[in-house]
Order: sequence, then C-alpha cells, then structure tokens
Amino acid sequence: MPKLDFDIITLGHGSGGLLTNKLLDSGVFHLFDNKHLQQRHDGAMLTLEGKTAFTTDSFVISPIFFPDSNIGELAVNGTVNDLAMCGAIPQYLSLSFILEEGLKMTEFWEILVSIKSAAEQANVQIVTGDTKVVEKGKGDKIFINTTGIGHLHAKADIAPSNVQPGDKIIVSDSIATHGVAIMSVREGLEFESELKSDTRGLGHMVSILLDTFGEDIHLLKDPTRGGVATVLNEIARDRNLGIEILQKNLPLQNEVSALCEILGLDPLYVANEGIFIAVVSDAISEEVVEKLQSMEYGANASIIGEVTKNHPKQVVLTSAIGGKRIVNMLAGEQLPRIC
Amino acid sequence: MNTWHIHIEGRVQGVGFRPYVYRLALERDLTGVVYNALDGVHVKFSGSEDQAEEFYAAIIDKTPSLARITNHKITRETGERYKGFQILQDQSDVSASLMLPPDFAVCENCKNEVLLGKNRRSGYPFITCTQCGPRFSLITELPYERAFTTMEAYQMCHSCKQEYGDPRDRRYHSQTNSCTACGVRVALWNNKGQKIETNSQLAIEKIARLWEEGKIIAIKGVGGYLLTCDATNAKAIRTLRQRKHRPSKPFACMYPNINDVQRDCHIDSAEQQMLTGEVAPILLLPIKKKSVDVALSDIAPGLNQIGVMLPYTPLYLLLMQAFGKPVIATSGNLSNTSIVFEDKKIFMELSDIWDFALTNDREIVTPQDDSVVRFSPFKKQPILIRRSRGIAPNYFWPDTPTEQKTILALGASQKSAFGLLYGGLLYLSQYLGDLTFLDSTENLKRTIQYFINMLNCRPEIILVDKHPNYYSTEYGKYLADVYGGKLVSIQHHFAHFAGVLAEHSLIQKSERVLGIIWDGTGYGNDGNSWGGEFLVYENRKIKRLVHIAYVPLILGDKMATEPRLSALSHSGQNPAILPLLKDKFSTQEWKIYQRLLDNGSPLKTSSMGRLFDAVACLLGIMDTQTYEGEAALQLETMAQTYFDYHEGAAYSGYDTQISYLEGISTMPIIEGVVRDLNNGTSKNEIAFKFHYSLVRMVEEIALTNAMEKIAFSGGVFQNGLLVDLMIIHLEDTFQLYFHQQVSPNDEGIALGKLAYYQNIEE
Ligand SMILES: [Fe+3]
Ligand SMILES: [Mg+2]
Ligand SMILES: [Zn+2]
Ligand SMILES: [Zn+2]
Repeated sequence: MPKLDFDIITLGHGSGGLLTNKLLDSGVFHLFDNKHLQQRHDGAMLTLEGKTAFTTDSFVISPIFFPDSNIGELAVNGTVNDLAMCGAIPQYLSLSFILEEGLKMTEFWEILVSIKSAAEQANVQIVTGDTKVVEKGKGDKIFINTTGIGHLHAKADIAPSNVQPGDKIIVSDSIATHGVAIMSVREGLEFESELKSDTRGLGHMVSILLDTFGEDIHLLKDPTRGGVATVLNEIARDRNLGIEILQKNLPLQNEVSALCEILGLDPLYVANEGIFIAVVSDAISEEVVEKLQSMEYGANASIIGEVTKNHPKQVVLTSAIGGKRIVNMLAGEQLPRIC
Repeated sequence: MNTWHIHIEGRVQGVGFRPYVYRLALERDLTGVVYNALDGVHVKFSGSEDQAEEFYAAIIDKTPSLARITNHKITRETGERYKGFQILQDQSDVSASLMLPPDFAVCENCKNEVLLGKNRRSGYPFITCTQCGPRFSLITELPYERAFTTMEAYQMCHSCKQEYGDPRDRRYHSQTNSCTACGVRVALWNNKGQKIETNSQLAIEKIARLWEEGKIIAIKGVGGYLLTCDATNAKAIRTLRQRKHRPSKPFACMYPNINDVQRDCHIDSAEQQMLTGEVAPILLLPIKKKSVDVALSDIAPGLNQIGVMLPYTPLYLLLMQAFGKPVIATSGNLSNTSIVFEDKKIFMELSDIWDFALTNDREIVTPQDDSVVRFSPFKKQPILIRRSRGIAPNYFWPDTPTEQKTILALGASQKSAFGLLYGGLLYLSQYLGDLTFLDSTENLKRTIQYFINMLNCRPEIILVDKHPNYYSTEYGKYLADVYGGKLVSIQHHFAHFAGVLAEHSLIQKSERVLGIIWDGTGYGNDGNSWGGEFLVYENRKIKRLVHIAYVPLILGDKMATEPRLSALSHSGQNPAILPLLKDKFSTQEWKIYQRLLDNGSPLKTSSMGRLFDAVACLLGIMDTQTYEGEAALQLETMAQTYFDYHEGAAYSGYDTQISYLEGISTMPIIEGVVRDLNNGTSKNEIAFKFHYSLVRMVEEIALTNAMEKIAFSGGVFQNGLLVDLMIIHLEDTFQLYFHQQVSPNDEGIALGKLAYYQNIEE
C-alpha cells in the first residue's frame, strides 16, 4: 500500500479534484498500469477483431470480505465469467466504484490488489473506469461495476436454441460452496469451518473445452444467484423441454452438504461463483467430464443429468431413494410449503 | 285421472334408480314412463291425486342406498295417457347425466353370491351389480354407459346380456356386468417378471400362502395398486417399511370381517355403518389394548389407534377369506406421491418393494387412494382425513349454486385436490398427492384434463392459492393462459373458512361467524406464514380478528419437519426454557441457531401446527418427525389417555394473553408446560391441559367479541380430541359448525375457494 496522508475515503475523493487525482495516481493507475490507462484519455480506444461479446455487471454484496476472497475479485471474475459463458475470451474490462464516505483506505487497497490479481489471472486489462463517493449512509462501503469485452472463440457455437433432448448436463465442480461460505460470514454463523469461497475466473477452462469440443458444447451458464436450480429452470422454460437430474450425482463437499442440512438449505438453490454448467451433446459428455477433472478448478466435475422431452418446462430431481421431486423456480427461497 | 311429473335431482343415475321406480310403479299398477335427463330423473305417470301423492312419497322414501337426492318436486301436467310402465332409454346425448358416480364397495347381495358356491359367479373376483362396484375409476366419457367405460373391452356372455336387459333384475343396465365366463382375468407374477398363475382361485390360494411366508404382494384393486403383507408378522412389516422408505407413518390394515375388527378395536354403530357401507373407507379406530394380535407397534408406532378397512371388492373378499387374518394394505407408491395404477409402473418403478404382484386386465382410467375417515372419540363427530374412493368426485351443495360460469379451483400443495364447477354441478376431485413430486403433478394435470375433456368445458375462472411457490398456483397460471381464463388468488385460511361456511349455508347470510382456522402453514396476506387464525365472517366479508402471536420462522420447510425448531422458536430465547432444549441440538447447530434468532428472522409464523410441535418436543415426544403431524398425533394420543381416565373432572388449562394488536402470546403456555414438567406433573396431563387451553382461548375470544356462531377448520382439526373438547366445552353456549363432506385439511381448500369466490367481497 502506498504511503497516503489519509486513511479513510472522504467525499473529496470523488470530487474530481486534487484528492481524486491523488487517490487515482497512487492507487488505481499505479496498480493497473497499462498502455490504455497511460493515455489518460476520457475513454479507452481499442481495436477489436471478429465477433465480440460485451457484458456488464454490478456488485453489491455484504459482507465485502469473505473467506479467502472479497468483492474485488468477485467483480472481475463475475464479468469475466459472463464473457466466458458466451464462449468469449475476455480481453478488456472497465472498472467503476461507488464508495461510501468512511471506507477504510486499507480495505479499499486490499480490494484493489485483489482486482489486480484476478485480472492478471484472467488475462484481462482494465482500460477505463470511474470513481464516485457518496455520503455516509447512502451506500454500503463499496459498490463496483465492471463491463467486459472479449472476442468469441473461433469454435464457439453457444446458444440456448442448441440445447436438444438427450444432451447431458455437466457441472464443472462442487456446487453451493460459495453461497454457504458467504452466508457463514454474513449471518455471523461461525461455522468453524475451512470453507472458502470458490470465486474463480472460468475463461481459461472454457477456452480449453471449446478448443477440444467446439460446437458440441451447446450451452454454458454460471449458476450464480438462485443456484443450479434457477439456471436449469431457465433452460427448461426457454426450450420447452424437461430436465432430469440425479441427486446422487450432485458434487457437493461434505462440509457444504452438512451445513446445508443444518440451515435447511437446498444446495441446488445456493449461489455459486467459479463453477459453470455445460449442456453438451451426449456423445462427448464423458470426455468433457474427464477433461474438466484434469483441470485445477474441475476436480469434482460431474454429469448431473440430462435434457428430456418428458415433462416440458419442469426440472425433476430423482432423489437418492427414488422419488421424483420437482425443482421449481422459487419466488422466496425460505417460504415454507410443508403444512 | 291426471298426468303427473316427478323430477328428482342428485346422484340418481348409475345407481339403479329407474328400475327402482319401475318396480314401484308395477307394484301399484301405474302407467307411465321414467327416464334420465341432463338434470336428473323424470317420472311421468297417470293417476288420481291420492295415487300420485302415495307414489311420490314411496319414491322419495326408500331410495336405492347409493342414491343421494338433493332436490325433488311433483307437478300436475295436462298431457298424454300412458299404456303400461316403461323405462325410456336416453334419447339423445343431451340427455346424458352429468353426475359421475363414485366407486362403490361390494354390496351384500354380491358378497353372498361370490362366497356361496351355488351360482355362476361364485368365486368370481369382479362381481358387481347396479348397487355396487367401480364407476368413476373406469369411466372414460359421459354419459355413464358401458361403451364409455373400460368394461367395453369385455363382451357380455348370453346370461349376462339377459340380466342386463331385464328391468326386474338387479343387474338391469349394470354397466360393469360380467361373470366368470366373460369377465376380467387376473395374473399373478413373481418379481422376475414371470407370470406364475392365471387361475383366479389358485392365485388367491397362492397369495394366502405367500402372505403366511412373510412376502409382500402388490394387488391391483379399484383405484390402483395396494401393497400388502401379513399384519401379524412384524418382520414382514419392517421389510415393507424399509423398502418403502417409510420409517414410522402408520399403515392401514384390511380385516377379514367386522367381527375381527370388533375383537381388536373399539367400534360403535355409526363407525360400523361407515366401515360396512358403500364408501368402506379406512377408518381410524382405537385399539383394545389386550386383545390385539396384529403387530401394533410396527403398524402404528406410538399411537393407540389403527386404520382399519374391510374387503371392499370381491377380490379382496376372496383373498381375506382365504387368509383369515388382517393384512397391511397401503397405497402402492413412494412416499407421498399418488397411487400407482398402471401395470407398467408397478413393474418398472415399484418392483424393489414387492415380491409378487397380482394384476388384472381391467384398465383403470382414474386412480384413487382409499378414503380415510375417523370419528372423534366421544362426540363421534365424523372427520374426513382423505376424501377419495367411494366419495369423489361427488359433492352435494346444500344450496344449488346459481353460478353458471365454469370455475376451476386448485387446492394447496401437500394434500392436493381440485374442484370444477360446471353447469351448476360441482366435481370435487379425489386426493391427488403431494405436489412437490412429479407423479402427483402429472396426476393433477391428467385429472383436470380428464374432466375438462369429458365435460367439454373451458374454465373461465381459475382460483389459486396466494402462495407463490405452490405447483398448483403455477399450474393455475398456466391454465389461465391456455384457456384465456381469469386468474384469482385467494388466501389459504380465508378459503378454509369459506369452505366450512358453505357446507352450512352460512356464506350467503349476513350473521357473524367466528372462524377458528388452525393448520400448519399457509401464505398470509402480510407475507408471513399463517396458521393460528381467528377470522370473522360478517355480511359477505371475512376479516382477520386475531392470531397466534408471531414467532420467528427459521430454516424454511425444515421447521415443519423438526419439532425441536418450533420449540426453540416458541421459547423466545427465554433463559428458563433454553436449558431444556440445548441437548436436542449439536453444539454447532445450537450456536448457529442462537445466532440466527439473535439476528432476527425476516419471516414469521402464527402457525398452530408449529405450536403443537413445540409442546410435543418439550414433552420429549420427538425432536424430528418422519411424517406430517407425527408429533401432534402422539401429543393427542397422550392427552387422550389422560382424558380417558379423568372424564368429567374439573380441568385446568394454561393462561393465555390475548392482544388484538400483537396476537395471542404463547409464552404463558410454554412457560406453564415447563413449570409443570419441573413440578413432575404427568406428561399426559400436560398434553391434555394444552389441548384444553386452546378451547378456552376460543371461548374467551368468542365471548369478548359477542360471537354466537363458531366454525372451525384447518388441518389441526383432524385431531379428534380437540374436536371433542370444542364440542363438549362450547356447544351449550355457541352454535358450532364443522366440515361434513370435505376434510378440514387442505383437501377442503378447493371447495372453500369456490365458495369464497362466489360469495365474499374483498
Ligand atoms: Fe391449510
Ligand atoms: Mg452480468
Ligand atoms: Zn352388488
Ligand atoms: Zn357373463
């Protein structure tokens, strides 16, 4: 952290004046240094080739720090992963902050460092951005918006309309880890656990899959808010097809499973970061899983189910004891239905 | 001499009504005609005023036992003179009856024929007549004629045809008529999928031996497959429990005859009539402690009553005669899904459960479970627990609705059912299963579609629950889309209340009625989970008067399955109570849940079901339950035991604090229970005092608000003791109203929604 003559963010840091420059010079520009930033222009001028994917996301979470990660890393990976789910190779990011007056500079710095390291790992450059400061109480420490641009992988043909009956549904790694880790901090539930948030950039994994399997990868989705259940319901609804998943095939860390049980949570609805769902043609599904399992973030990849013509628009889970339970889109997660 | 016209409405078709009128006319030498029409049975005849009056009275007086008359009138007509008396056949399809008869239990005449050896149907497992046998389960289309049932596949032999054509015969126009020569055939299969016996008599004898050996047999009955085993063989029952993944939910027993039931259970004459009547449901009966030779602790763990039924089909009759002992007879399904009725499924999906299966080639169109009924122990108030075979899809409104629009009312979630109002006639479906399972949602869709197709109607208004996550709500929205119907959502407890009001014709009136609507959960108008509700009806409006004070609703559906969480929530983190609960949780759970409660739950509940759970848990009954209502049922059993020994004593209950702003605090009850526990009061007495406190609570609220009429509904009122205490304690002061034709649980919701929509102003 650079030596600064202030230790909290004040309204002046967003004024566009001297304080802003001080914060940017010694902080942001220094940290993310690249030729586009060096231009010090009002915007970045980029040369793009071929088909391009473009996405944006805002990150408003509490707490901003959670086991092994923080909002900064999430802000980079979230957008990078949205690009990856389009079959694109992430190239450039914009980065905007809305800071609440009083945010500790040490915390801001830690977030900036995480952003830098996540961007490096994902091989993206931060090329433009903005910083505003709002009065205390008008924000919640820090809000981040990132926008990303990337070029489409040459072999990518990813679209919901490619999903066919018989396709297999694969998750790239254990589910529900991130959501449970976040909850442990947010609710102050002190799990005494080693659970880490699994926020990760997925661009690299996706790119390898596309190199190998190309158009046999029909759809990619990151099951963030609403979890795996919500993503599968969206696919079933959009394609007017059914989806069948097997409870016994759901990769779930023992600890996550135990905590879900304690908290009455269905892991299918818990948020994820750092995993994706791939809908792939049946023929290559086993190979995809093998490939994923050989990668750092895919050790627990698994075929969890398949697309079917039966029960259109419904996602059905075959439980460990054989009953077929409906996994629907939930309006309010914890609303009880049992009488 | 005049011409007279009698018009009779109700369930008067497919139950032998026309031949009954025909015989009465012949006895009196009257001339005329009798015929079916869309609106019931019509009789036209010639005679003097005295003759007409006498004939009319005779028809109404002793109707065939399966008939249910809802309306009748006689008018004088100028018109033709008749020669002889004739049964006119339905003249056009417009004259088709819209009433769908349910499946009736085998009648006494058929019983005698099948068991006695001197007629062509002795030993025939599918004997029927106009006074008994399946209907609803085999009907593919209306009107109810053989060509539109799955009996169409069987060509009647010469003898059967003769009976069918003879108005003096019990089998005149009996659409299910068949016999050994021309009828339904059985096949017995082993678990490898091999057919091992097709002779019905040999198959029956074989099954009796297999039961004796402890085997589990799937048997195709009227509405679907039952899974059976020897009820006196604890090991066989445990095997069935294990294979069915049903650790402790009670099983029903089929007894060979009423004498054996009397030997094992307390049964009074009204109950006996129910058991041996045309519905022949599963009846919950208290056990006589000493005489029972069934494996009670394995059949109904922790309870002092069992579900009993008698053989309601000739096939079961023959099987029970061959075996001579009670058998377990439980719906063929997994957990709470709908009953399996297709052969394909019994082989593909349930073959891990049974050792042998007895199929038959009569196809089931509409599956149904067995109905379940209980009577409250003292006042003998009948309580419908499951409304299915023998009752559905009939419902007899006390007042014929004037509504001519087609309205579909969907129910709730776990105990799903629907109602369809078409042409002023209400079809109230059978229990369709728990809609969190695919089988049940398919069953719901199929059954709704069946009625829509058969009646060729289009729902103009679709009523759903306010709960956004019920499958029934979702499907209702879809149907409203498909049919361009209007979607209306109705609050769960308001619907419960409207249902019981409608059953007593109170919903069109202006008088005030207090509604005690208690259940486990329902989505409230404020987004919280309701269930301990005191509502007021007045002048076509329903309002929430007061409710059980909110407690934190934690962990969603998990709370309903774990009484220890209800106890925790109701303890209000009271330091005097927490030590009692701490060892019901792991250290980690305890820490997490304390923190959750400290943080304050965004959702709250006023559920009465959860209060029962909390008290049951404090009494050490159970911390987690394996089926809905398990803890509450055991709490009732304990209270019942106390009441049995202290009938007529001076009872005391716990205090309650009623605040019309904050709700009724349960803390005095919880604290009272804990105080009694510490003082060594017997648990049975505490359980009773809890029940009694609730009735006192009702009394106080009714008196404070100057209410004269009290109606009660909701799943909590499946509790027979609570119903009794309500009646015993309140009947002298108040007029009480309870359900008659529908269940107080969520199966009754569909009727309630229809009543609400038509009568209540929002
Ligand atoms: Fe209810
Ligand atoms: Mg996005
Ligand atoms: Zn009969
Ligand atoms: Zn015959």
